[in-house]
Parts: sequence; C-alpha cells; structure tokens
Amino acid sequence: MRVRQSSDTFAGLALVLATLLSLVVSALANSTVAASPEYQVKAVFLFNFAQFVEWPPQSFQDAAAPFVIGVLGTDPFGSALEGAVRGETLNGRSFVIERYRSVTEIRHCQILFISRSEAAHVEEISAALVGHSILTVSDIEGSAQGGVMIRFVAESNRIRLRINADAAKAAGLSISSKLLRPAELVTSAG
Amino acid sequence: MDRRRMFELRRTVVCLLLVPIYGLVCRNALGAADGGSVSIGALKQLSIEELMNLDVTSVSKQPEPYGQAPAAIQVITQNEIRRSGASSIPEALRLADNLDVAQQNSHDWSISARGFNTALANKLLVLIDGRTVYTPLFSGVFWNVQDYLLKDIDRIEVISGPGGTLWGANAVNGVINISSKSAKDTQGGYLEAGGGEPGLKSFAGVRYGGTLAPDIYFRAYGKYFDRGNEVYANGNNASDSWNMRQGGFRVDSYASPGNVLTVQGDLYGSDLNVAAGGAGSSSGGNVLGRWSHVISDDSNTSLQLYYDRTHLADPITNQFGTAKVLTDDLDTYDLDFQHHIRLNERNRVAWGLGYRFTHDVVDPAQNLTFLPPTLNRNLYSGFVQDEVMLVKDLFFTVGTKLEHNDYTGFEWEPSGRLQWNIAADQMLWSAVSRAVRTPSRVDSDLREPNPLTTILAGDSGFKSETLIAYELGYRARLGSKASASLSMFYNDYDNVRSLSYTPITIVPLFFANNLAGDTYGAELSMDYQIIDQWRLHGGYDLLRERIHVKSGAFDLENALNETEDPQHQFSLRSSLDLPRHIELDGGLRWVDKLIANNNGVPATVPSYFELDVRLGWRPVPKLEFAIVGQNLLHARHPEYGLVSTIPNREDIQRSVYGKVSYGW
Repeated sequence: MRVRQSSDTFAGLALVLATLLSLVVSALANSTVAASPEYQVKAVFLFNFAQFVEWPPQSFQDAAAPFVIGVLGTDPFGSALEGAVRGETLNGRSFVIERYRSVTEIRHCQILFISRSEAAHVEEISAALVGHSILTVSDIEGSAQGGVMIRFVAESNRIRLRINADAAKAAGLSISSKLLRPAELVTSAG
Repeated sequence: MDRRRMFELRRTVVCLLLVPIYGLVCRNALGAADGGSVSIGALKQLSIEELMNLDVTSVSKQPEPYGQAPAAIQVITQNEIRRSGASSIPEALRLADNLDVAQQNSHDWSISARGFNTALANKLLVLIDGRTVYTPLFSGVFWNVQDYLLKDIDRIEVISGPGGTLWGANAVNGVINISSKSAKDTQGGYLEAGGGEPGLKSFAGVRYGGTLAPDIYFRAYGKYFDRGNEVYANGNNASDSWNMRQGGFRVDSYASPGNVLTVQGDLYGSDLNVAAGGAGSSSGGNVLGRWSHVISDDSNTSLQLYYDRTHLADPITNQFGTAKVLTDDLDTYDLDFQHHIRLNERNRVAWGLGYRFTHDVVDPAQNLTFLPPTLNRNLYSGFVQDEVMLVKDLFFTVGTKLEHNDYTGFEWEPSGRLQWNIAADQMLWSAVSRAVRTPSRVDSDLREPNPLTTILAGDSGFKSETLIAYELGYRARLGSKASASLSMFYNDYDNVRSLSYTPITIVPLFFANNLAGDTYGAELSMDYQIIDQWRLHGGYDLLRERIHVKSGAFDLENALNETEDPQHQFSLRSSLDLPRHIELDGGLRWVDKLIANNNGVPATVPSYFELDVRLGWRPVPKLEFAIVGQNLLHARHPEYGLVSTIPNREDIQRSVYGKVSYGW
C-alpha cells in the first residue's frame, strides 16, 4: 500500500515535470514576434468599431453567425486581433478572425481590414465589395478618398481616424456619432 | 441535504462586503485571461478618444497601470466551461488550477484554495453576480444550491490568496467571483437537453432574451436536472440521488447614458436523498439591483442592494441517533456602495461602504441545536484603497477594510501590493495581506445533541482566525502562442479552530482557537496555443501545511481536523478543433492523497488520476451535439472522506452524458 502510494506520487510528479518542461520548451521554440504597438492599438480600434457601427441583419448568415473581422493581404497584426476579441461577444455573437489572400475568398464578413500589401488594388477591392455591408478599414494612403470607409492616419505617433461616411451609408452601415465626432470626415474623390 | 458530516463530533469540527465590480478583479480579468496580450486588455479599457490620443510608440509600456492584477487570479471563460463538459458550477471550478475540488457524494463538494479543504471548508468567499453565497451557519458554501444556466455564465474569476481588503472577512484563502452575462449578450433563444448514466440522468434548460425598450434588454431562463446515486466503497448504492429546478431573469438597461441599471433574480428548489436515510430539500431565491454610474472618465460609482433567502431541510445523522431533520431559514439583506476615482496621474482611489443584515432561524433536529435558535446579525463595513504609480511601470496598492461584526467587534484587513510591469508581456507582483475568518454559528452557537445534555458546544468566546499572507507572482506571455503564470505564497495562521474539553466532566467538548501554523506552496499555470485549432493547458499546485497545537495548549483532534488537502495537484487539458466542425476536448487531473482526521489519528484518501473527455459536433452554428465522459479512468474512485465512519465514504462513478443544444 505504502509502496503503491509513493510510486503514484512519483508517477504524478514525473508527468507534471515532463509536461511542463515540454510546454516551456515548445513555447520558447515557437515564439514569434508579436504585433507592434501600433497594430495592437489598431486591433483594438477594429474591435471597437464593431460596437459603434450597425450592420443590417442580412449582413449575417443567421442570428447565431459569428461576427467576422477579416484581414485582406499580408497580416500585420500577429495575434493582436485574436487577443482583442478573445472571450468577447456582441449581441450574442462570438467573434471570428479570418484572413484572405484575395477579395474573392470573402464570404461573410462584417469588418475588412485591407493591408498595405493591397495598396495597388484599393479601388478594385472597393468596387468588388459594392453591394455588401462590409465596413472597410485600411491604413493605405488616400484609401478613404478611394472608397474605404475608415482610414487609420498616423499623426505624430498618434492614430487618427478619417471616415468616409458616404461610402458607409451606401453599404447600408450606420456609424455612431461617438465614432464620427472625434474623426475627420471625407468624401469619395470624384 | 447531506450535511451530516459537518456536525459530527469526529469531524467537528461574516459578513462581508462584496465588491466584484470595478475592484481588483474585474478590470484585471481582461489582461490576465487565457493568454491574451497584456496590453490589449488594457487598451480595450480606453475610449475611442483615448485610443486616438495614445502615443503608440509608448503603448508597450502600458497605457494604464493595470494590465493584470497583482494577484494570483485565474479566469475561467464561457468557452472553457462549454468545452470542458462541466455540467455544474463545482465541475467548472475544476478548471481553476488554484482550487482543490473534491466531490464527497452525489450532491456535496469540498472546495478550497491553498488548503483547509474540509467538509466545513470556511476560508473561501464566493460571489455570484455580486451576491455573497456563503452560509453563516459555518462560513462555507452549500455548493448544491449554487447553480445557473451555464451557457449564460460570462466568466468565473478565481483568486487564490487573501482578498480581505476588498471583500472582507471570509476572503481568507481565496475569492471566487462568478459573473453571468449581461442580458444584452444573451439575446435570442436557447434550448438544451440531454441525459446519461449514472451521474447526470437527465437535464433541460431554456433561455429567451429580448428587448423591453430601446437599450433595455432582458432574459429569462429555467433549468432542471436529475442526478443519480453514487456508491459506497464496497459498491453498494448510496441512495443519494437528487434533482433541482431553477429559474430566473436579468434586465440590463443602458437607456440612460453613463448609467447601467441591472435587476436580476433567481428561484430554485431541490430534493435530495441522503445516503443514511431521509429526504432533504432546499429552496430559495434572490433579487438584486445594481446601479452603476459614470460621473466622468475618472470617476464612477456603483450602488447595489440585494435580498437573498435560503431554506434548508437537512436530515442530520450523527452518533447521537438516527437522522432528524434540521431546518434553517436564512434571510440576507445587503447594501453596498463603491466609488472609484482617479485623483491624478499617479493615484487611483477606491472606497466603499457596506451594510448587511442576516436573520437566521434554526428549527433544530433532536440531535443538533443552535442556541439561540433565532439570530439577527449586523455587519458594517468600509474600505479604502489607493493605487499609486511610484515610478513608471511600478505600482503600489495599499488599502484596508474595516468592518464591525456582532461576534468579535471591529476587524481590519489591510494589504499592500507591489506590481512591476517588467515589459509589455511580463509582470512581477508581490503582496502582504492580513485576513480574518470571523466566527460562524457552528463556532459560537452549536449545541450537540441538545442544550441540556451537550456533548459538543460552540463557544461564544471563539475568536477570529487570522492570517498574514506573503505572496510573490510572475506572469508572462511567451511569444504569441503561450502564456504562463506562477504564484508562490507563505501563509502564517493564528487562532485556528481546535477542540477542547471541559475540566473534570470532560463534556461538553467545545471549540477553541488553539491551533497555529504556516502553509506554503506554489501555483503554476501554462497555456499554449500550438496551432489555431489546438490548445493545451497545464497546471500544477504545491501545498505544504504545518498546522500545530500552540505550545501549552490542547486539541483533541491533534491539529488534524481543519485540513484535508493534497500536497500536489496536476492538470493537463487539451482542446482540439477537428475538420467538419468537430471538437475534441480532454482533461486529465491527478490529485495527491489527502490526510484526513479520524478522531485525532491521520487517515488517508488515496491519490487518483481521472480523465474527462468531450466530443462535440456543430453541424451548423446554431446546433451542437456533445457527448461527455467524466471520471473515465476508474469505474469508481473516492475523492474525500473516511471509509469506516458515519457517514461512510462514497465513491464517485464513471459517468457519461449526451447533450443537444440549439440557439437562435
């Protein structure tokens, strides 16, 4: 009895140590560079947008469908977007982060971040999304005038918002005044 | 209800503030939770304007002095509860590495942090949506009446270590804070049903949420379950099946800017068969209102009022005779006010006031009495706490609670905490705290079997048990995929409960405060997201207890009665998302042997490995099928108690259940 007890203890401890050791080793081996502070903040902005914009019901597949934040192109966020939405729900919907290489991969999406890697295609992308209630966000230069609804603008180490409210309205989205107030408003160019 | 053990001679063996809202825990849950980025949790606290004014080049140094709490906190999320297959709150609490959860029988659990986990465990404070759920009978929790529709629980925060400065007496070794979702987040319908053998025989739950007016949300829910018998060590049926019905509602109003109004309530009823014979029952209900008001970006208040009623009819079996039914009716009225204010760049102050009135009526069984049978108690409390930024990234939090109870008068529970944000993803913290466990009715009012021929008595001179705790902790993200937390503690206890005898006549035996001693240990947790579809979690707990009889004093139980704890605990959980919307989850735990008290002589509960497995399938997002196996490694195993005494130790059986849930 006594012997069995101590061998149980030993087995338990050995398992503990082996597991924790392997967790540590594999964690260190897999360490990747986290998102820069700039993109951590932008990730939180994207999460906040979900709460200050109203989407028409038909933009979701159904009442239980998750709220999708998509990233088109090279993803600068690391795990920051996942971190921003982890454990969060909005009107009962959980959040899902999706990544797309091309605009054709998009199925159901509420917020789309268009990465700098797509700078050359902003207008094509905007055109492809016409008729969909997707809030487009980007930090590409001139993108707000190019039909992207919200642009992150860097100003002396701070992130400002430039909002194209007409483009959002055309997509059936209504942006809260709480978001519009601190932002700079622009309209689509020509 | 099987409360027999608690009043037995062999096993012989408040008042508090509740404050979960803006306190230590809540804001920290964001950062501390399941491996999320430290700074993202803090960033999410900021408004759009604040985000826009943030210098992004300095974000990594924390925009606010709180990414995480300087405390040993673990957060159990809704998703973790769902994927664990837990079907009750005690089962969900097994997900916290810093707790010891031992199931005694079909309907009783012993749950504690950092030791002292007896059938009368009394050093843990438990709150559900801001409502304290301990019983002043023994300062512990009747776990079998703490239930909720698990789907609507937002998270469970488990803090090991003292929380007296914010939460008051009883928050000695830990605080469990169970939060349900806002009604805003539970809109629409939800149905679940299922059943299995031999544990969870059948269950069903339903919830519907909607709006009463723009920005005013409600939900109502109901649930039912029927649980089967467990068995004795010899395999005989222990006849301790039980069932429970519960329903409730919650309304959250965001209609007025800067104000959140919450009104919620629950009603429940339960029938419990007791192994040694007899039927017990429990019923109760509560209603709570809370008004949170934002005065400015730097200042907010919260006012909360609740009423809680519990009725307990408990067949008590002890060596003084066959089961007789003890009934206890407890009414609690509680008022709590808090104000959180940022005074300046360096100081964030929280203060609050509280009052609680309890009215307890015991209709005694013939072999167990409380004197006086009817007892009114008042508790007054206040606290103040200041979080000071000493230099950049170094914070010192100091504060105290001062409370007045009708047993021991004034009690104070100060603490000092130091937090150093070493980097954006690393934090080192340390704390020194004092906490007290104020007397309960068992300690003071017990007369067993009756007041005329008392063999065991409480003592009106029983003092508060005290603790000075020293803690050191470290939390870090290891790259983008892993996080780890290590907490270490040294606890110094005094005036812990002991059992003395009356000179010459020997009886009555009575409770005294003749034990002291120390405990030390460590809690380690690691999360590792191997790939998007696969997450691992590992946890390890070390606990050493050195409780002794004070020099020149005496304890009939040889300092064995207040502890029944594993020295080591280990857990490993895996959550795997498979193709075709299939989820496979497993939880393995190992619990070291327990040293139990058998009339002052140590006895043993063997160590055990156990495994829970869940297989889930979501063919469409609204619909989920799951099959859950619990305690799969053994046909049956004991987790708590003694084989040879009354009541006999029970074994917990391997059990399987299936579940269908549908949300719309």
